[in-house]
Amino acid sequence: MKPRWKGKGSQAKANADPMSKIVSQLQSSLIQSETRGLLSSCSVLVEVDAELADLLNRSCFGRPRITAQEDKQWFQLDMEEAFYLCFSLKCLKVIGENGYIKSNEELWDYLKSKKPVFPVSYKVYSHLRHKNWVVRSGLQYGVDFVAYCHHPALVHSEYAVLVLSEGDNDLNGRLRVWSDVHCTVRLCGSVAKTLLTVIVNSNNQGANSPSCLEHYTVEEQTITRWNPERSREDQTGPKNGTKKV
Amino acid sequence: MATHIAPLRKLWALHVLDGNDIHLSLKELYEKLSNGKSGCYWELFEVYKHLRSLGYVVGRHGIPWSVKGQHIKSGTCSLEGSQESNEMLEMEPKDENSVIELFNNMQITDVSPAFNVYLPNSKFRKSSPGDPSFVLYISRCSPPSRVEIEALERKHGAIPFKFCHVENGRVSFFSFAKTELPVLS
Repeated sequence: MKPRWKGKGSQAKANADPMSKIVSQLQSSLIQSETRGLLSSCSVLVEVDAELADLLNRSCFGRPRITAQEDKQWFQLDMEEAFYLCFSLKCLKVIGENGYIKSNEELWDYLKSKKPVFPVSYKVYSHLRHKNWVVRSGLQYGVDFVAYCHHPALVHSEYAVLVLSEGDNDLNGRLRVWSDVHCTVRLCGSVAKTLLTVIVNSNNQGANSPSCLEHYTVEEQTITRWNPERSREDQTGPKNGTKKV
Repeated sequence: MATHIAPLRKLWALHVLDGNDIHLSLKELYEKLSNGKSGCYWELFEVYKHLRSLGYVVGRHGIPWSVKGQHIKSGTCSLEGSQESNEMLEMEPKDENSVIELFNNMQITDVSPAFNVYLPNSKFRKSSPGDPSFVLYISRCSPPSRVEIEALERKHGAIPFKFCHVENGRVSFFSFAKTELPVLS
């Protein structure tokens, strides 16, 4: 699956500016500034200066909120993004409604209460982010996430990601019937993305605390539609670069 | 029974000859296909017809290409496109049921390997068919689970496999493949 870069020079730009490095800079900067996030319903709000705002934008964490403030900017982080910064990168602390910093366990419980599939969803998010893929919400495409190999300004997202689970934490009911496979694959195709299912097995570890996550196993799978009308003459495989037949 | 398929794209007609070179009526054909004991199922036929009309070479998985001189017992069905074939389909006694009712009795409940498919224009020869371009499974119930896919990948090795879903006369093909996104820099 080859990435579709946007315009000339994008690929070179991306190669010169690896995502792992940007994320690492974000991590250092957040630690240094002792940034605190405010827990608000299903988001975490952070107030940042220009340097951090730039790093958040370049690493694709959160969305800037429009405010009248000039010197500082506010960013809104999704659940998975916030927890990744807190728990995986250990560079952010979140303050709850009582004004105190929430521990990882407390944050985990809170996020689970808001979104029962959060443990599995987070496992997939962190799995892809760890491999330095940019992961954003896939809601507008009817999937859980979309994955880019670098910043969305430079490249089109290749994968529409659906989180599936097997084992005891089977809360996600997607792709159980053929009509859903048809629907999802068709939608992905119409937005030029490959459907990537990431299947999480909790291995009976439950989801009581974030430490359970390291025992979860993850498998990736692509689901693609094959069109017999198009593949007849082409011995080398369909044009989108996937393997032969 | 040898099946000779006219250009389906234009005519959507199927000329079927039985072992005695007699044309079967459509009703007779459908009745034969409805008969579970012969091993031929309606969906299998739909898929076969669909791929054959596009020029693919399709053989029933597990049935050898060349069985000249052999008499195939009931329970197997060979739907080769070749006119040289002299396999025979054993006829079962006809029911009094209407054709529509026979359709309703037909089901595939298991996912089982159905066809070996070769691309059109591939240098296919019955005497040495070689590996198929892919093996085709027909599914009716649910999409395959990850565990099933892994088992099939182990079973077929280098030969790709696809799943075919048939519903309302619509034949769709899907590939499920284990993958691993690379670690980026």
